[in-house]
Amino acid sequence: MSRIDLQAVHVEFPIYNVNARSLKKSFIHLATGGSVMTDANDHLVVSALKDINLTIEHGDRVGLIGHNGAGKSTFLRLVSGIYEPSRGDIKIEGHISPILDLMHGMETEFTGYENIILRGTFLGNSRKQINEQIENIAEFSGLGDYLSMPVRTYSSGMMVRLAFAISVSINPEILVIDEVFGAGDANFMERAREKMMSLLTRASIVIMANHSDAIIREFCNKVALFEGGQLKYYGTVEEGFNIYHGKIG
Amino acid sequence: MAQQQEAVISDQNVTVKQTKNTASIVFPKVSQSQRAWKDVLDGLTKWPIWALLAYQDIKLRYRRSILGPFWLTLSMAITVYTMGYLYSAIFKMEMASYFPFLVGGMLSWTLISTCYNELVDSFTSSEGMIKQMKLPYTLYVHRIVFRNMLIFFHNLFVMVPVYVMFHDTVHINFYLLALIPGLLIIYANTAILGLILAMLGGRFRDISQIVKSLIQVVFFITPVMWKPSALPPEKAFIVNYNPFASLIELIRAPLTGSLPEPGTYAMALGTTLVGMFICWQLFKKYRARIVYWL
Repeated sequence: MSRIDLQAVHVEFPIYNVNARSLKKSFIHLATGGSVMTDANDHLVVSALKDINLTIEHGDRVGLIGHNGAGKSTFLRLVSGIYEPSRGDIKIEGHISPILDLMHGMETEFTGYENIILRGTFLGNSRKQINEQIENIAEFSGLGDYLSMPVRTYSSGMMVRLAFAISVSINPEILVIDEVFGAGDANFMERAREKMMSLLTRASIVIMANHSDAIIREFCNKVALFEGGQLKYYGTVEEGFNIYHGKIG
Repeated sequence: MAQQQEAVISDQNVTVKQTKNTASIVFPKVSQSQRAWKDVLDGLTKWPIWALLAYQDIKLRYRRSILGPFWLTLSMAITVYTMGYLYSAIFKMEMASYFPFLVGGMLSWTLISTCYNELVDSFTSSEGMIKQMKLPYTLYVHRIVFRNMLIFFHNLFVMVPVYVMFHDTVHINFYLLALIPGLLIIYANTAILGLILAMLGGRFRDISQIVKSLIQVVFFITPVMWKPSALPPEKAFIVNYNPFASLIELIRAPLTGSLPEPGTYAMALGTTLVGMFICWQLFKKYRARIVYWL
């Protein structure tokens, strides 16, 4: 059973190239983004996530909502293990598969096949597993012989197809996705949607950030509303959106 | 509006209740040294990743060029042969003894200095990757050291004409096997000290520039272009207490057909061990902060 627990988790970024004293006080209280404070050494500290308490259980498909800079991406990176909390505890049961940036690790000078091998190695797959995947990825991306060409010769749509096909060729336990919908042309979109659906149903926990309400309503059974680095609401999709939009209006 | 405010407040109550629930969950207390040690081990077991990355770095640099990575060999050859010809004349040295000494020294100097120069930027230059994926920090250090080791083996071909031309004074013999422990010590030394530099370079951006200028100074106080025997005895400390001199000797001696002296090994291993201690203390304390510095 997969499970994620967070207890009083804070994520704070020190900013070293801005002198705290040279900033006007008015900067300290901003509408978007985390709040800005100074630490003991007079460094500016941006508090990206503040006192997050949350339990995500098996079967939860959590959509993250909130303004730009509310802390959604930071939360995804926290759960992915990239940021370790500056304070607080986090406990994750289950293997995390993050898809934070589709194009990450793509090398445009290399061929499509080489990129598949590259990404597979990153994910810790053996050469044998990768070879088994290659056929599926080739078929799903529909790129055919283009896979033997350097990726720089691809159109941007083709690149996204390949990146998407590689990224979703995983068997996720806990899936963490950041804004990765809307790939390719209409025909591919339809297949991408199906693939995404099957990926989401296979995963035991899904955490996704998306700016489209429709996508969150379609895929998620819970939402987490972030505001200024704080978790304002965690619960049903309907109520989450009511609070979110009520606040904007 | 007032109702919505209330809704928010009641939700906060819900989260407070959840906090009480989560309080019963046992959060495993993993100490920073356990995490740091795991990073070191994962860095080793994930060798396919850094080996591939290192290989890819070299392949990318020379893709579509005719000579490919052997440009490394060629440009090294041009540099060292020119230097050998010129400096043997300037220092009025016997070409047959000076030339192999210089070429061997330059090969090891290039390996060590490039490692240090690149390692100080290992985290800043991999910022994109570090922020996209959870990989051990030591992996980035291995990538750079391993890449430079691969380059070293390409550069090694520069020695072949030297063995042919100066076959009277320089021999390939069993001592060449001492290259293996030598390279292992250099791998450990650069990776360990490189991790210290990488952490400092990530936190303080001036460190990278400072290290790069210091490395240039070290080149002149280390016997690469000049022989230690050229120093007057009262200045011998410049070589005897110079860890770089011993690191260089670990490669140069086997390449030119002799065995490094025990003192050389002691110096190289000693600095590596001291470095290991400092590195462990720093890495244990600051590992979790590295990503926040980038």
